Amino acid sequence: MTRIDDKIRRVDALEKARGEAKYLADLSFDDMLYARFVRSTVARGRIVSVELPDLPEGYWYISAKDIPEGCANSLVMIAGDWRCFADGDVRYVGETIGVLVGRSRAVLKALEEAITVTYEEGEPAVSIDDALALKGGPILEKDDIHCSLVSEKGEDVEEVLARAETIVEETVETGFQEHVHLETNSALCCIEDGRYTFYISCQCPFYVRKSVAGLLGLKPQDIRVKQTTTGGAFGGKEHFPDVLAGPLLVAESVVRKPIKLVFDREEDMLYSVKRHPSKVTFRTGLDKDGRIMGSDINVYYNCGAYLSSSYVVLQRGVFHANGVYNFPSTRIHGYGMATNTFPSDAFRGFGAPQTLFAIETHMDHIAHRLGVDPVEYKRSCFLCQGDETVTQGHIVEKVVLEEMLEQVAAKSDYWRKSKEYGRGSGKGIGMSFYNHGGAFTGNGEQAIIKAHLKLVKDGGHFTILCGQTEMGQGFRTILRKIVASVLEVDLDDITYDNPDTDLVPDSGPTAASRSTMIVGRLAEEAATKMKERLGEDHVEIETEYSHPEGHPWDQSTFKGDAYLGYGWGCACVEVEVDPITNEVKVVGIWSSHDIGRAIDELIVHGQVNGGIIQSLGYASMEKMENRGGHFRQTSMSDYVIPTSMDFPRQEWGLVDNPYEWGPYGAKGMGELVFNGADAAYIDAVERAMDVTINKIPMPVEDLEAVR
Amino acid sequence: MVECYTPKSLDEALAIRRRTGARPLAGGTDLMVQYKQGVGITPVFPFPVMIISGIDELKGIETCEDGSVLIKALTTPSQIASCEAVPYLVRAAAGRMGAVALRNSATIGGNIGNASPKGDLPQPLILLDATVILRSQDGERELLLDDFILGSKKTDLHDDEIIYAVRIPKVEYSYIYYRKIGTRRANAISKLSLSALALVQDGRIIDFRASSGAAGPKVIRSHEAEALVVGQRLEDIQAILPGFLAAWDAAISPHAMPQYRRNTTRRMLEHFLTTVATAPQEGVIE
Repeated sequence: MTRIDDKIRRVDALEKARGEAKYLADLSFDDMLYARFVRSTVARGRIVSVELPDLPEGYWYISAKDIPEGCANSLVMIAGDWRCFADGDVRYVGETIGVLVGRSRAVLKALEEAITVTYEEGEPAVSIDDALALKGGPILEKDDIHCSLVSEKGEDVEEVLARAETIVEETVETGFQEHVHLETNSALCCIEDGRYTFYISCQCPFYVRKSVAGLLGLKPQDIRVKQTTTGGAFGGKEHFPDVLAGPLLVAESVVRKPIKLVFDREEDMLYSVKRHPSKVTFRTGLDKDGRIMGSDINVYYNCGAYLSSSYVVLQRGVFHANGVYNFPSTRIHGYGMATNTFPSDAFRGFGAPQTLFAIETHMDHIAHRLGVDPVEYKRSCFLCQGDETVTQGHIVEKVVLEEMLEQVAAKSDYWRKSKEYGRGSGKGIGMSFYNHGGAFTGNGEQAIIKAHLKLVKDGGHFTILCGQTEMGQGFRTILRKIVASVLEVDLDDITYDNPDTDLVPDSGPTAASRSTMIVGRLAEEAATKMKERLGEDHVEIETEYSHPEGHPWDQSTFKGDAYLGYGWGCACVEVEVDPITNEVKVVGIWSSHDIGRAIDELIVHGQVNGGIIQSLGYASMEKMENRGGHFRQTSMSDYVIPTSMDFPRQEWGLVDNPYEWGPYGAKGMGELVFNGADAAYIDAVERAMDVTINKIPMPVEDLEAVR
Repeated sequence: MVECYTPKSLDEALAIRRRTGARPLAGGTDLMVQYKQGVGITPVFPFPVMIISGIDELKGIETCEDGSVLIKALTTPSQIASCEAVPYLVRAAAGRMGAVALRNSATIGGNIGNASPKGDLPQPLILLDATVILRSQDGERELLLDDFILGSKKTDLHDDEIIYAVRIPKVEYSYIYYRKIGTRRANAISKLSLSALALVQDGRIIDFRASSGAAGPKVIRSHEAEALVVGQRLEDIQAILPGFLAAWDAAISPHAMPQYRRNTTRRMLEHFLTTVATAPQEGVIE
């Protein structure tokens, strides 16, 4: 019997460690063909001509012209503006112009190289500043703003700032980040039983069919999507698989044989979505005692050429822009900028990490200016239960930041070290606080997703049917464990396979830290009902999401409770900086999180370790540059992510704070653990070197510029 | 199509080399990456290739009578790093190349022949005045590695020659220094590296050398700059330091991140020399 407090080995651990798990690249079908994308080599321009070589027998070139008349050349993500195929013009480097299909990958490569695309090039806008200056003329109809919103709280910010003793102004910027999931993007399209069928490495199989069905004038349910074992995603396989699936589907409608597309690493680096680069400006008013009266904040995200899901990313950024602090008055403008870069998309944190890094760094700088310990300063502004949020909603749950701070400060010996290590001494310690709104922003769960889950009993065996995917985060284990614990049976008595859209109900995307909190809850409810009927031989129970009372939200004005509840975090990082080389050695990492309650401590431990390391990589070494629309880092040797040698063993803790609406009291946590170590690291480096840092990443050469 | 040979002996390899100009491929850690075509496609080499990894005559490390160490071309970084006969600086560089898998398959001949300014081994080897021994059917020639490597990815290797071995002369020193600043702590490409060496007798610097990696199109040594230090008394180091640092700075020519590479190189050299000036216990300067 599996109990909820048992620490268990992940159900997929052995097959993955032994190399037995089959990924999409391992699949092979009779008569299978391969696909190769033909991509734009310029960032902005009109396509004058596409000259094809003679195609050998059994080879096809598929492009926008193959989309049936009357069907939209559109991939429906949250917005539908991302085109399946560039047509007439190109808007970013790597935009899909066409797809070559045939038996030999070597021949496909040679054919691709023999295609001549002639462009009339325009001047690309690449950065947020380019877009603000309308470089090269507007990308959209009249400007370069894909989307915008404003969130206001308290008094009129201009009046507040007019009364302020001091106004602190600064700008904080963050860069691109590449997901570097171990398995590159891959998909296969075929026809099974007369229906278009995808095998695909993805987070959200239901998204795929919804996104591409319209290309052939089909309904989503006309298409079958089977998720294949997915080797990492981090958000990079939330919407991006649609960009593979669309052209494959159009090709399949012509070719009618299985077609497989597997990106190699260089393609995955150069031609896939990234985390939105950001620029956040602050004008923060302080009273004569240094207390924050209000802040005027502008948030700019580089969304790239298409809006896709960026409006929701921007909303999350805006709603997290005050961090874990209660400022009496705030005005936060958010702008999603259109540029000629590869569209930015979901990445662990979904817009929250950028603004959280900005506000933490801003708070550190204000405290330094005032000559007070940053942690002392920050804690004086902590949000508490009942406090008003920037969307004029309220913090519903008990906030345990003080307990988390106490835990981390004790383990790290923060107060002593903070006092003893002089600024510029080469040693530094920093601490950050952060949160993450659980599940979909606003009323998404009730208005858009309406998750369903089914639990089936056959004899003594149970099967969970839902659309949630395992992508390395441990959800196959988590969900089986929840059901096993409620039913008081073994994990082995429960089956939960990779989803197939024909077999499972739509429980919504595997994203937004919602799987455990929302779908885990549905599983818990289903299992609780099932427990009453254990005497019956065959039982099917379907549960449906219902919105907890007391979370008002107005999607048209963005006012109310933006999230159902928050996870909270505190991270502390200690560093030693080499005065000769600027190399930063992290000597200690401590963290504490409120995730409601842990469903499995081992999996949570893995998430904490991984999230914090990924955040430290984001702050220190993960540099992805874009020149003229071209990413400069093309491989895992020039875009480096941390290895286990780069950071020491972490000490971590949790503060139990059970969440009423989550399974066994659990809230979301997969993104939360990414949201703050970057700021703690930069705080520590600033103190060690006595410098001011306003951007990440900060590898040695960029530290040179500020020292 | 790849025109590929697999010679069993050095003689056979030299014959193939002269006949076809085939390029030697040993560990493949540079060539296979450079000429890969993507998943599922055979690499394409625009030249004939001979796989020489089976030739035992090209493997191993020997200590010669004059105290020099001979490292044959197919010796791997792992073997170099774990061989006590090899000078410390070369072992340090070999031990920090790439990841374990790379250190087990790459070769010293390949690392030299590839002539990347970021290559790990040439930098300390050039500091030590190592020579490279080249073989062809006509015999053997030996020249300074510093002369063999002409520039980024350019060497003096003739079309009929194969790198046979590297010879590292015995070099006396009192103090040595080695730093590699990589993109991260392990499995990293060098952003900048530096070796330095000083021999001090009776308070006077008898020998001084430095070499900079990843700071120009090839590993940089400046005999002119070194000459400013050689012969100086320890107490005079502070006085000649600015002139030396300026001379070294003029010798390097970093293309990317010049500010970081120049400043850090200056700080490393300054640190080494000012530490030497205090006449600490002999050995590795941290």
